[in-house]
Amino acid sequence: MSAESRKRDLRFLFGPIVDALGYKFSPDAELVDFCLEQEVKLEEKHGIPFCPCQAITKDRKRNMKIVCPCIPFHRKHYDAMKRCWCGLYVHKDVTDPDTLKQIPASKVL
Amino acid sequence: MKKVRLYTLSTCPWCRKAKQYFTKNKIPFENIDYDLATEEEQEAIMDQMDEYGGTGEFPFAIIGKDSVCGFDPDEYARLLGKHK
Repeated sequence: MSAESRKRDLRFLFGPIVDALGYKFSPDAELVDFCLEQEVKLEEKHGIPFCPCQAITKDRKRNMKIVCPCIPFHRKHYDAMKRCWCGLYVHKDVTDPDTLKQIPASKVL
Repeated sequence: MKKVRLYTLSTCPWCRKAKQYFTKNKIPFENIDYDLATEEEQEAIMDQMDEYGGTGEFPFAIIGKDSVCGFDPDEYARLLGKHK
């Protein structure tokens, strides 16, 4: 399966999940394409499409909390930013993702 | 100038922006890609991030005695005493 094909699959799989959580893919098409491409690479390497912006460690329980889409495990944090950590997803009401900043969890929780 | 150490992931778009920020502003920085490091190096990075209250989110910058989790050019500039 080509990377482009898998990117389309991930978009198809993740779309309805994040929609039910009140999120959507970021309007920043370039960012979305880049993040999905990295997730395809991470899936090829680890067997799982992890978040491209969080550390994969030896701790499996911790790693499971960064499997994309990881919104349910970081709900309060991401809701406060109106985006997920890597920016692949934003709240449904967001039209300009450039206005959203990464805020560390320690400052939100 | 304060010493800058930047921990990043090769897969992270915000880490690329952070590297570009320091490069563009000609601020010397030491950079390690966590995901390309050895297991021992990864453990050392996570230990250091833990000390600063990091939770495994990248990019993670250590500027002098302070740290910045996430891509935050305003905070980088503030800690370095620079205007944007």
